[in-house]
Amino acid sequence: MPERGDVRRARSAWAGVLAGVGVAAFVDETVFHQLLHWHHFYDRSTTDAGLVSDGLFHAFGWFALVFGLVLVADLRRGDRLSGRALAGGVLTGAGGFQLYDGTIQHKLLGLHQIRYDVDLTPYDWTWNVVAVLLLAAGVLFLRRAKVT
Amino acid sequence: MIVHDGHVLVFLALAALAAYELGAWRLRNRGDRWPPARDAVFALGVAAAIFPGAPGFTGHVVQHVLTGMLAPLLLVLARPMTLLLRASPGARRRLKPVLGSRPVAVLMYPPVAAVLEAGGLWLLYRTGLYAAAGGEPVLHVLVHAHVFLTGLLFTASVCRLDPVRHRVGLGPRAAALVGAAAAHAVLAKTLYLTPPPGTVLAAADRQAGAELMYYGGDVVELGLALVVALTWYAARGRAARRGQPPTWMPGRRAGSFSALRMISRTTGAVSPRPRIR
Repeated sequence: MPERGDVRRARSAWAGVLAGVGVAAFVDETVFHQLLHWHHFYDRSTTDAGLVSDGLFHAFGWFALVFGLVLVADLRRGDRLSGRALAGGVLTGAGGFQLYDGTIQHKLLGLHQIRYDVDLTPYDWTWNVVAVLLLAAGVLFLRRAKVT
Repeated sequence: MIVHDGHVLVFLALAALAAYELGAWRLRNRGDRWPPARDAVFALGVAAAIFPGAPGFTGHVVQHVLTGMLAPLLLVLARPMTLLLRASPGARRRLKPVLGSRPVAVLMYPPVAAVLEAGGLWLLYRTGLYAAAGGEPVLHVLVHAHVFLTGLLFTASVCRLDPVRHRVGLGPRAAALVGAAAAHAVLAKTLYLTPPPGTVLAAADRQAGAELMYYGGDVVELGLALVVALTWYAARGRAARRGQPPTWMPGRRAGSFSALRMISRTTGAVSPRPRIR
Protein backbone atom coordinates (compact mmCIF):
# COMPACT_ATOMS: atom_id res chain seq x y z
CA MET A 1 0.00 0.00 0.00
CA PRO A 2 1.36 3.46 -0.85
CA GLU A 3 1.92 6.02 1.88
CA ARG A 4 -0.53 8.84 2.42
CA GLY A 5 -0.16 11.54 -0.18
CA ASP A 6 1.76 9.26 -2.50
CA VAL A 7 0.40 10.67 -5.76
CA ARG A 8 -0.58 8.10 -8.37
CA ARG A 9 -0.04 9.94 -11.66
CA ALA A 10 -0.66 7.05 -14.07
CA ARG A 11 -3.83 5.99 -12.28
CA SER A 12 -5.03 9.62 -12.22
CA ALA A 13 -4.44 9.85 -15.96
CA TRP A 14 -6.32 6.61 -16.64
CA ALA A 15 -9.24 7.79 -14.51
CA GLY A 16 -9.23 10.92 -16.68
CA VAL A 17 -9.12 8.95 -19.93
CA LEU A 18 -12.14 6.89 -18.87
CA ALA A 19 -14.08 9.96 -17.75
CA GLY A 20 -13.03 11.81 -20.94
CA VAL A 21 -14.28 9.05 -23.25
CA GLY A 22 -17.48 8.97 -21.20
CA VAL A 23 -17.98 12.73 -21.38
CA ALA A 24 -17.35 12.81 -25.14
CA ALA A 25 -19.82 9.96 -25.71
CA PHE A 26 -22.33 11.68 -23.45
CA VAL A 27 -22.00 15.04 -25.25
CA ASP A 28 -22.32 13.27 -28.61
CA GLU A 29 -25.52 11.59 -27.48
CA THR A 30 -27.21 14.53 -25.71
CA VAL A 31 -26.13 17.47 -27.84
CA PHE A 32 -25.89 16.03 -31.36
CA HIS A 33 -28.54 13.31 -31.19
CA GLN A 34 -31.12 14.63 -28.74
CA LEU A 35 -30.86 18.44 -28.66
CA LEU A 36 -29.73 19.43 -32.15
CA HIS A 37 -31.09 16.31 -33.93
CA TRP A 38 -28.13 16.55 -36.33
CA HIS A 39 -27.02 12.93 -35.92
CA HIS A 40 -29.47 10.26 -37.02
CA PHE A 41 -30.27 7.18 -34.94
CA TYR A 42 -29.70 5.00 -37.99
CA ASP A 43 -28.20 5.64 -41.40
CA ARG A 44 -28.75 3.16 -44.23
CA SER A 45 -25.10 3.39 -45.24
CA THR A 46 -23.99 1.98 -41.86
CA THR A 47 -21.86 -1.15 -42.16
CA ASP A 48 -22.19 -4.10 -39.77
CA ALA A 49 -18.80 -3.22 -38.32
CA GLY A 50 -20.11 0.31 -37.80
CA LEU A 51 -23.09 -1.02 -35.84
CA VAL A 52 -20.87 -3.15 -33.61
CA SER A 53 -18.41 -0.30 -33.07
CA ASP A 54 -21.26 2.06 -32.20
CA GLY A 55 -22.80 -0.47 -29.82
CA LEU A 56 -19.52 -1.14 -28.05
CA PHE A 57 -18.54 2.50 -27.65
CA HIS A 58 -22.05 3.47 -26.64
CA ALA A 59 -22.07 0.82 -23.90
CA PHE A 60 -18.47 1.50 -22.90
CA GLY A 61 -19.11 5.25 -22.72
CA TRP A 62 -21.63 4.95 -19.90
CA PHE A 63 -19.48 2.56 -17.92
CA ALA A 64 -16.34 4.65 -18.49
CA LEU A 65 -18.05 7.83 -17.29
CA VAL A 66 -19.29 6.24 -14.07
CA PHE A 67 -16.16 4.25 -13.35
CA GLY A 68 -13.80 7.12 -14.21
CA LEU A 69 -15.57 9.36 -11.68
CA VAL A 70 -15.53 6.72 -8.96
CA LEU A 71 -11.82 6.15 -9.66
CA VAL A 72 -11.26 9.90 -9.14
CA ALA A 73 -13.19 9.72 -5.86
CA ASP A 74 -11.07 6.77 -4.76
CA LEU A 75 -7.82 8.61 -5.57
CA ARG A 76 -9.00 11.75 -3.82
CA ARG A 77 -9.90 10.09 -0.54
CA GLY A 78 -6.35 8.81 -0.34
CA ASP A 79 -4.83 12.20 -1.34
CA ARG A 80 -3.28 10.48 -4.32
CA LEU A 81 -4.90 12.39 -7.17
CA SER A 82 -2.74 14.36 -9.59
CA GLY A 83 -4.96 17.12 -10.96
CA ARG A 84 -2.73 17.77 -13.94
CA ALA A 85 -2.58 14.11 -14.92
CA LEU A 86 -6.36 13.92 -14.51
CA ALA A 87 -6.90 16.94 -16.76
CA GLY A 88 -4.51 15.48 -19.30
CA GLY A 89 -6.36 12.18 -19.21
CA VAL A 90 -9.80 13.79 -19.63
CA LEU A 91 -8.64 15.83 -22.65
CA THR A 92 -6.83 12.86 -24.21
CA GLY A 93 -9.82 10.57 -23.70
CA ALA A 94 -12.34 13.06 -25.05
CA GLY A 95 -10.13 14.04 -28.02
CA GLY A 96 -9.26 10.44 -28.82
CA PHE A 97 -12.89 9.36 -28.83
CA GLN A 98 -13.98 12.37 -30.88
CA LEU A 99 -11.24 11.71 -33.45
CA TYR A 100 -12.20 8.01 -33.65
CA ASP A 101 -15.86 8.98 -34.00
CA GLY A 102 -15.14 11.62 -36.65
CA THR A 103 -12.79 9.55 -38.79
CA ILE A 104 -13.28 5.78 -38.35
CA GLN A 105 -16.95 5.68 -37.32
CA HIS A 106 -18.46 8.48 -39.42
CA LYS A 107 -16.26 8.16 -42.49
CA LEU A 108 -14.83 4.64 -42.72
CA LEU A 109 -17.67 2.63 -41.18
CA GLY A 110 -20.44 4.81 -42.59
CA LEU A 111 -22.14 5.35 -39.26
CA HIS A 112 -24.46 8.38 -39.34
CA GLN A 113 -22.94 11.66 -40.52
CA ILE A 114 -22.55 14.81 -38.41
CA ARG A 115 -25.41 16.59 -40.16
CA TYR A 116 -27.72 15.95 -43.10
CA ASP A 117 -28.76 18.00 -46.16
CA VAL A 118 -25.73 20.31 -45.87
CA ASP A 119 -22.21 20.39 -47.26
CA LEU A 120 -20.40 18.12 -44.82
CA THR A 121 -16.85 19.38 -45.44
CA PRO A 122 -16.77 22.25 -42.90
CA TYR A 123 -18.51 20.06 -40.31
CA ASP A 124 -16.08 17.20 -40.73
CA TRP A 125 -13.08 19.51 -40.58
CA THR A 126 -14.32 21.37 -37.50
CA TRP A 127 -15.16 18.09 -35.78
CA ASN A 128 -11.77 16.52 -36.36
CA VAL A 129 -9.69 19.67 -35.82
CA VAL A 130 -11.40 20.13 -32.43
CA ALA A 131 -10.60 16.49 -31.71
CA VAL A 132 -6.91 16.93 -32.58
CA LEU A 133 -6.71 20.11 -30.48
CA LEU A 134 -8.22 18.33 -27.47
CA LEU A 135 -5.85 15.43 -27.97
CA ALA A 136 -2.81 17.73 -28.30
CA ALA A 137 -3.78 19.68 -25.16
CA GLY A 138 -4.23 16.39 -23.32
CA VAL A 139 -0.81 15.09 -24.33
CA LEU A 140 0.73 18.43 -23.28
CA PHE A 141 -0.87 18.18 -19.84
CA LEU A 142 0.22 14.57 -19.48
CA ARG A 143 3.81 15.48 -20.32
CA ARG A 144 3.79 18.36 -17.85
CA ALA A 145 2.37 16.03 -15.22
CA LYS A 146 5.30 13.72 -16.04
CA VAL A 147 3.09 10.69 -16.40
CA THR A 148 5.37 9.12 -18.98
CA MET B 1 -51.32 -11.72 -22.65
CA ILE B 2 -54.50 -13.54 -21.66
CA VAL B 3 -56.54 -12.29 -18.68
CA HIS B 4 -56.02 -15.61 -16.92
CA ASP B 5 -52.21 -15.18 -16.90
CA GLY B 6 -52.66 -11.71 -15.46
CA HIS B 7 -54.42 -13.15 -12.41
CA VAL B 8 -51.68 -15.72 -11.86
CA LEU B 9 -49.02 -13.01 -12.13
CA VAL B 10 -50.76 -10.73 -9.65
CA PHE B 11 -51.10 -13.65 -7.24
CA LEU B 12 -47.38 -14.51 -7.59
CA ALA B 13 -46.44 -10.87 -7.11
CA LEU B 14 -48.51 -10.54 -3.92
CA ALA B 15 -47.03 -13.79 -2.59
CA ALA B 16 -43.49 -12.52 -3.25
CA LEU B 17 -44.25 -9.20 -1.53
CA ALA B 18 -45.79 -10.96 1.46
CA ALA B 19 -42.81 -13.29 1.81
CA TYR B 20 -40.36 -10.36 1.60
CA GLU B 21 -42.26 -8.33 4.18
CA LEU B 22 -42.51 -11.33 6.50
CA GLY B 23 -38.74 -11.78 6.32
CA ALA B 24 -38.05 -8.08 6.82
CA TRP B 25 -40.47 -8.01 9.79
CA ARG B 26 -38.67 -10.97 11.38
CA LEU B 27 -35.29 -9.26 11.07
CA ARG B 28 -36.52 -5.94 12.44
CA ASN B 29 -38.43 -7.68 15.20
CA ARG B 30 -35.22 -9.20 16.54
CA GLY B 31 -33.39 -5.88 16.27
CA ASP B 32 -31.47 -6.33 12.96
CA ARG B 33 -31.11 -3.41 10.59
CA TRP B 34 -32.95 -3.76 7.26
CA PRO B 35 -33.22 -0.38 5.46
CA PRO B 36 -36.79 0.54 4.44
CA ALA B 37 -35.43 1.61 1.02
CA ARG B 38 -34.99 -2.09 0.22
CA ASP B 39 -38.67 -2.80 0.86
CA ALA B 40 -39.52 0.07 -1.48
CA VAL B 41 -37.25 -1.07 -4.34
CA PHE B 42 -38.51 -4.63 -3.96
CA ALA B 43 -42.13 -3.48 -4.32
CA LEU B 44 -41.21 -1.35 -7.35
CA GLY B 45 -39.30 -4.28 -8.84
CA VAL B 46 -42.25 -6.63 -8.44
CA ALA B 47 -44.56 -4.05 -10.01
CA ALA B 48 -42.17 -3.61 -12.96
CA ALA B 49 -41.89 -7.40 -13.38
CA ILE B 50 -45.64 -7.89 -13.84
CA PHE B 51 -46.25 -4.73 -15.86
CA PRO B 52 -48.80 -5.69 -18.53
CA GLY B 53 -47.91 -5.49 -22.21
CA ALA B 54 -49.52 -2.86 -24.42
CA PRO B 55 -50.56 -3.32 -28.03
CA GLY B 56 -48.01 -2.82 -30.79
CA PHE B 57 -44.27 -3.35 -30.91
CA THR B 58 -43.57 -0.23 -28.83
CA GLY B 59 -45.87 -1.53 -26.10
CA HIS B 60 -44.03 -4.83 -26.23
CA VAL B 61 -40.67 -3.07 -25.84
CA VAL B 62 -41.94 -1.09 -22.83
CA GLN B 63 -42.76 -4.42 -21.21
CA HIS B 64 -39.43 -5.90 -22.31
CA VAL B 65 -37.42 -3.07 -20.74
CA LEU B 66 -39.46 -3.14 -17.51
CA THR B 67 -39.64 -6.93 -17.06
CA GLY B 68 -36.28 -8.00 -18.42
CA MET B 69 -34.07 -5.10 -17.32
CA LEU B 70 -35.49 -2.65 -14.78
CA ALA B 71 -37.30 -5.21 -12.61
CA PRO B 72 -34.17 -7.38 -12.20
CA LEU B 73 -32.10 -4.35 -11.18
CA LEU B 74 -34.65 -3.23 -8.57
CA LEU B 75 -35.12 -6.76 -7.24
CA VAL B 76 -31.36 -7.33 -6.96
CA LEU B 77 -30.95 -4.02 -5.09
CA ALA B 78 -33.50 -5.31 -2.55
CA ARG B 79 -31.19 -8.29 -1.78
CA PRO B 80 -33.92 -10.91 -1.46
CA MET B 81 -31.47 -13.81 -1.07
CA THR B 82 -29.68 -12.11 1.82
CA LEU B 83 -33.03 -11.55 3.47
CA LEU B 84 -34.11 -15.16 2.97
CA LEU B 85 -30.86 -16.56 4.37
CA ARG B 86 -30.95 -14.30 7.39
CA ALA B 87 -34.66 -14.65 8.14
CA SER B 88 -35.06 -18.39 7.77
CA PRO B 89 -32.55 -20.84 9.31
CA GLY B 90 -34.23 -23.72 7.49
CA ALA B 91 -33.79 -22.09 4.09
CA ARG B 92 -30.22 -21.21 5.00
CA ARG B 93 -29.39 -24.81 5.80
CA ARG B 94 -30.88 -26.07 2.56
CA LEU B 95 -29.70 -23.26 0.26
CA LYS B 96 -26.09 -22.89 1.36
CA PRO B 97 -24.82 -26.02 -0.43
CA VAL B 98 -26.79 -25.05 -3.54
CA LEU B 99 -25.37 -21.51 -3.60
CA GLY B 100 -21.86 -22.89 -3.20
CA SER B 101 -22.25 -25.54 -5.89
CA ARG B 102 -20.37 -25.60 -9.14
CA PRO B 103 -23.37 -25.18 -11.51
CA VAL B 104 -24.43 -22.06 -9.63
CA ALA B 105 -20.87 -20.76 -9.76
CA VAL B 106 -20.79 -21.27 -13.54
CA LEU B 107 -24.20 -19.66 -14.10
CA MET B 108 -23.26 -16.77 -11.84
CA TYR B 109 -20.01 -16.09 -13.70
CA PRO B 110 -20.89 -12.73 -15.33
CA PRO B 111 -19.74 -13.49 -18.92
CA VAL B 112 -21.76 -16.75 -18.91
CA ALA B 113 -24.86 -14.98 -17.59
CA ALA B 114 -24.35 -12.19 -20.16
CA VAL B 115 -24.26 -14.69 -23.05
CA LEU B 116 -27.43 -16.38 -21.77
CA GLU B 117 -29.21 -13.04 -21.43
CA ALA B 118 -28.11 -11.30 -24.61
CA GLY B 119 -28.10 -14.55 -26.61
CA GLY B 120 -31.69 -15.21 -25.59
CA LEU B 121 -32.74 -11.77 -26.80
CA TRP B 122 -30.97 -12.24 -30.16
CA LEU B 123 -32.73 -15.61 -30.59
CA LEU B 124 -36.06 -14.04 -29.73
CA TYR B 125 -35.87 -11.10 -32.14
CA ARG B 126 -33.68 -12.46 -34.91
CA THR B 127 -35.27 -15.88 -35.46
CA GLY B 128 -38.91 -16.90 -36.01
CA LEU B 129 -39.38 -17.20 -32.23
CA TYR B 130 -40.97 -13.77 -31.80
CA ALA B 131 -43.55 -14.45 -34.53
CA ALA B 132 -44.22 -17.96 -33.15
CA ALA B 133 -44.70 -16.65 -29.59
CA GLY B 134 -47.25 -14.16 -30.88
CA GLY B 135 -49.63 -16.97 -31.88
CA GLU B 136 -48.89 -19.49 -29.14
CA PRO B 137 -49.92 -18.44 -25.60
CA VAL B 138 -47.89 -21.12 -23.80
CA LEU B 139 -44.74 -20.26 -25.77
CA HIS B 140 -45.41 -16.58 -25.08
CA VAL B 141 -45.46 -17.19 -21.34
CA LEU B 142 -42.28 -19.28 -21.52
CA VAL B 143 -40.44 -16.62 -23.54
CA HIS B 144 -41.59 -13.91 -21.15
CA ALA B 145 -40.45 -15.92 -18.13
CA HIS B 146 -37.11 -16.63 -19.83
CA VAL B 147 -36.50 -12.93 -20.53
CA PHE B 148 -37.22 -12.11 -16.86
CA LEU B 149 -35.16 -14.96 -15.38
CA THR B 150 -32.08 -14.47 -17.58
CA GLY B 151 -32.30 -10.74 -16.87
CA LEU B 152 -32.37 -11.52 -13.16
CA LEU B 153 -29.44 -13.97 -13.44
CA PHE B 154 -27.36 -11.49 -15.43
CA THR B 155 -28.09 -8.59 -13.07
CA ALA B 156 -27.37 -10.68 -9.97
CA SER B 157 -24.12 -11.99 -11.45
CA VAL B 158 -22.86 -8.52 -12.36
CA CYS B 159 -23.99 -6.75 -9.15
CA ARG B 160 -23.14 -9.54 -6.69
CA LEU B 161 -24.95 -7.84 -3.81
CA ASP B 162 -26.43 -11.05 -2.43
CA PRO B 163 -23.95 -13.52 -0.93
CA VAL B 164 -22.30 -15.76 -3.50
CA ARG B 165 -19.49 -18.06 -2.55
CA HIS B 166 -17.29 -17.46 -5.55
CA ARG B 167 -15.65 -14.07 -5.84
CA VAL B 168 -15.34 -12.47 -9.25
CA GLY B 169 -13.08 -9.51 -9.90
CA LEU B 170 -13.96 -6.19 -11.46
CA GLY B 171 -12.70 -7.23 -14.93
CA PRO B 172 -15.21 -9.98 -15.79
CA ARG B 173 -18.07 -7.99 -14.24
CA ALA B 174 -17.26 -4.86 -16.26
CA ALA B 175 -16.63 -6.83 -19.46
CA ALA B 176 -19.91 -8.72 -19.13
CA LEU B 177 -21.81 -5.50 -18.49
CA VAL B 178 -20.30 -3.62 -21.44
CA GLY B 179 -20.58 -6.66 -23.72
CA ALA B 180 -24.24 -7.32 -22.92
CA ALA B 181 -25.12 -3.64 -23.20
CA ALA B 182 -23.37 -3.45 -26.58
CA ALA B 183 -25.20 -6.57 -27.83
CA HIS B 184 -28.44 -4.96 -26.68
CA ALA B 185 -27.67 -1.68 -28.44
CA VAL B 186 -26.73 -3.41 -31.72
CA LEU B 187 -29.88 -5.56 -31.55
CA ALA B 188 -32.02 -2.45 -31.02
CA LYS B 189 -30.46 -0.75 -34.07
CA THR B 190 -31.03 -3.80 -36.28
CA LEU B 191 -34.69 -3.76 -35.21
CA TYR B 192 -34.87 -0.14 -36.33
CA LEU B 193 -34.14 -1.35 -39.87
CA THR B 194 -35.71 -4.83 -40.09
CA PRO B 195 -38.53 -6.37 -38.04
CA PRO B 196 -38.18 -9.80 -36.41
CA PRO B 197 -38.53 -12.50 -39.12
CA GLY B 198 -42.10 -13.45 -39.93
CA THR B 199 -43.69 -10.28 -38.56
CA VAL B 200 -45.14 -7.23 -40.27
CA LEU B 201 -44.84 -4.06 -38.21
CA ALA B 202 -45.68 -0.48 -39.09
CA ALA B 203 -42.37 1.34 -39.68
CA ALA B 204 -43.14 4.13 -37.18
CA ASP B 205 -44.08 1.62 -34.47
CA ARG B 206 -41.00 -0.50 -35.11
CA GLN B 207 -38.63 2.45 -35.09
CA ALA B 208 -40.12 3.98 -31.95
CA GLY B 209 -39.82 0.56 -30.29
CA ALA B 210 -36.19 0.16 -31.38
CA GLU B 211 -35.23 3.61 -30.05
CA LEU B 212 -37.00 2.89 -26.78
CA MET B 213 -35.11 -0.39 -26.49
CA TYR B 214 -31.80 1.38 -27.13
CA TYR B 215 -32.29 4.24 -24.67
CA GLY B 216 -34.27 2.23 -22.11
CA GLY B 217 -31.34 -0.17 -22.07
CA ASP B 218 -29.02 2.79 -21.41
CA VAL B 219 -30.89 3.86 -18.29
CA VAL B 220 -30.67 0.37 -16.80
CA GLU B 221 -27.03 -0.02 -17.87
CA LEU B 222 -26.22 3.24 -16.11
CA GLY B 223 -27.79 1.84 -12.94
CA LEU B 224 -25.78 -1.38 -13.25
CA ALA B 225 -22.57 0.58 -13.86
CA LEU B 226 -23.26 2.61 -10.69
CA VAL B 227 -23.70 -0.56 -8.65
CA VAL B 228 -20.49 -2.13 -10.03
CA ALA B 229 -18.47 1.07 -9.52
CA LEU B 230 -19.80 1.82 -6.03
CA THR B 231 -19.29 -1.74 -4.76
CA TRP B 232 -15.71 -1.52 -6.06
CA TYR B 233 -15.30 1.83 -4.25
CA ALA B 234 -16.64 0.34 -1.02
CA ALA B 235 -14.44 -2.75 -1.28
CA ARG B 236 -11.36 -0.55 -1.83
CA GLY B 237 -12.31 1.46 1.24
CA ARG B 238 -12.65 -1.67 3.36
CA ALA B 239 -9.34 -3.05 2.09
CA ALA B 240 -7.57 0.24 2.82
CA ARG B 241 -9.09 0.42 6.31
CA ARG B 242 -7.73 -3.03 7.06
CA GLY B 243 -4.21 -2.21 5.89
CA GLN B 244 -3.78 1.39 7.05
CA PRO B 245 -4.26 3.47 10.17
CA PRO B 246 -7.66 5.15 9.83
CA THR B 247 -6.34 8.74 9.67
CA TRP B 248 -6.64 9.24 5.91
CA MET B 249 -9.93 7.49 5.43
CA PRO B 250 -13.16 9.03 4.05
CA GLY B 251 -14.14 11.00 7.17
CA ARG B 252 -11.38 13.51 6.53
CA ARG B 253 -12.91 14.79 3.35
CA ALA B 254 -16.47 13.82 4.02
CA GLY B 255 -17.93 16.95 2.45
CA SER B 256 -16.73 16.31 -1.06
CA PHE B 257 -18.23 12.85 -1.32
CA SER B 258 -21.37 13.13 0.74
CA ALA B 259 -23.50 13.01 -2.40
CA LEU B 260 -21.76 9.85 -3.58
CA ARG B 261 -22.21 8.29 -0.17
CA MET B 262 -25.86 9.27 -0.12
CA ILE B 263 -26.46 7.43 -3.40
CA SER B 264 -24.61 4.40 -2.13
CA ARG B 265 -26.65 4.38 1.04
CA THR B 266 -29.92 4.47 -0.89
CA THR B 267 -28.88 1.66 -3.20
CA GLY B 268 -27.30 -0.18 -0.30
CA ALA B 269 -24.28 -0.73 -2.51
CA VAL B 270 -21.77 0.36 0.07
CA SER B 271 -23.10 -1.14 3.27
CA PRO B 272 -20.90 -4.04 4.29
CA ARG B 273 -21.82 -7.48 3.09
CA PRO B 274 -23.89 -9.17 5.79
CA ARG B 275 -22.18 -12.16 7.28
CA ILE B 276 -24.00 -15.43 6.85
CA ARG B 277 -23.21 -18.00 9.47
